[in-house]
Amino acid sequence: MALLEVRDVHVAMGAQEILRGISLEVPERAIVAVLGGNGVGKTTLMRAISGIYGIKSGEIRFDGREIGNAKSHEIVRLGLAQAPEGRQIFGTMTVRENLQLGGIAIPPGETAALLDKSLELFPVLKARLTQKAGSLSGGEQQMLCIARALMAKPKLLLLDEPSLGLAPKVVKLIFDLVKRIRDEGATILIVEQNAKAALKVADTAYVVEGGKIAVSGPAADLARDQRVIDAYLGGHAKGH
Amino acid sequence: MPDFFDAYFAQQIINGLSLGLVYALVAIGFTLIFGILNVVNFAHGEIYTVGAFAGLLLIVGAAPPLLAVVLFAMAVGAAAGVGLERLAFRPIRRFSDEASLKSRAMREATLLSSLAVSIVTRELMVHFFSGEMQVIPQAALLQEVIAVGPLTLTNGNLFIFGASVVMLGGLQFMLYRTRVGLSIRAVSNNVLGARHVGIDTNRTIVATFAIGSALGAAAGILVGLYNGNIFPYMGFAPGVKAFVAMVMGGLSSIPGAVISALLLGVSESVATDFISAGWKDMIAYGLLVVTLIFFPQGLFGHGRERV
Repeated sequence: MALLEVRDVHVAMGAQEILRGISLEVPERAIVAVLGGNGVGKTTLMRAISGIYGIKSGEIRFDGREIGNAKSHEIVRLGLAQAPEGRQIFGTMTVRENLQLGGIAIPPGETAALLDKSLELFPVLKARLTQKAGSLSGGEQQMLCIARALMAKPKLLLLDEPSLGLAPKVVKLIFDLVKRIRDEGATILIVEQNAKAALKVADTAYVVEGGKIAVSGPAADLARDQRVIDAYLGGHAKGH
Repeated sequence: MPDFFDAYFAQQIINGLSLGLVYALVAIGFTLIFGILNVVNFAHGEIYTVGAFAGLLLIVGAAPPLLAVVLFAMAVGAAAGVGLERLAFRPIRRFSDEASLKSRAMREATLLSSLAVSIVTRELMVHFFSGEMQVIPQAALLQEVIAVGPLTLTNGNLFIFGASVVMLGGLQFMLYRTRVGLSIRAVSNNVLGARHVGIDTNRTIVATFAIGSALGAAAGILVGLYNGNIFPYMGFAPGVKAFVAMVMGGLSSIPGAVISALLLGVSESVATDFISAGWKDMIAYGLLVVTLIFFPQGLFGHGRERV
């Protein structure tokens, strides 16, 4: 059974339906990518999974439990954490405080060890612990955002546009870390507009269009799929 | 001006600092709640009054030690704050994302709902206790005179100093060293981020009301014991002064509000050297107007951390 199963989920904002029957599966210890252009509902999907938005119908099962209408703080406690779109770090608080807050859902005794582990993964943050998070560079803020999510000891880590606004070198660094986080035992669901980078690390991928899944399959196949190449990788790109 | 800094002047500064610390305790409640919800809690002055009356009832009923009176007033204040949140704030809050949590509609609606709770609470107190001054029993008063050289302090001055410093220190410790405090600061800073790390925003808002109200109630009973009497309308003036201190401090900066409150207390007290006591409220309003014209961000509000 997959760690996360999203089945026929509908989400509406007022009268407008943003997700119109979306389904996907995230197997344990996989990296699954969700691709698609602006405004197709990728972030809405991530927020629905994390319990920020309620769902209108359908079901979301995580680790065998129905979480479709669970509260966001309950979901984090079940082991599902997100590095959200726009990072949403606590800019006026220190890097250390941001990381402590990341671990607020787990018993206090475990946070020290998790902090060491996060800093080992993101050594740049070590020298910045007492600095205000808002004073970090964009790439460092993204790393802080991921490190903060890891402080919740997640079984499933959701990443919403981790590459947005970052230099190619930093994007590569972040995707290398994503692979490493998976290799250390976590499962990852990643939303990206940078399809090329995402397909390189993902096992499977889904393409969202108009609040529904348009195409899905193994990442390697999608990277060769002409429709995906035309729409997301630029028509001229070779998919391998 | 050889006799400008005379004993009387020093005396006024000491009295002003006591007054300022009381304003600071009240201002912190305003500031914490403004930081987390972006709204002004108009019922905060009544929490101060409720604290004073709770203290008086305990004194009359059981004549316990001073510390117990203050702790009891704080507990009642915290409970009143939680009730206030349930009654005037929670029902209007439908969604907990940042946009709606801090929206204008929320602000305007809770402005009125908290004002309504404030009026009802005040009138209920008038109904049960009458609008007259209630005299605090002699034994519980903090008006014992302690002469220090030419200065006359009372044990009330000292107790207000001590209690305020302990509470302000405790608050800073709580905000920076405990999970509840970190959560309050996180929700003030970024609600969406707070929800993503697993903070229960509703519970954090309730905690903020409880803490802010406990401090406001403590201020109420301290002033009651110091002045020797309490009455249902006593919360109005300190409420307005604390509001001014919050605005001067930059709306959501606790250190800013505390410094402004001390400034306000000392200015009011010293001003009676120059103008008649009946005009001293002009100081607070004058400072407010000057702040709003020349420092619209508040004296300490620029780029500072909320809460």
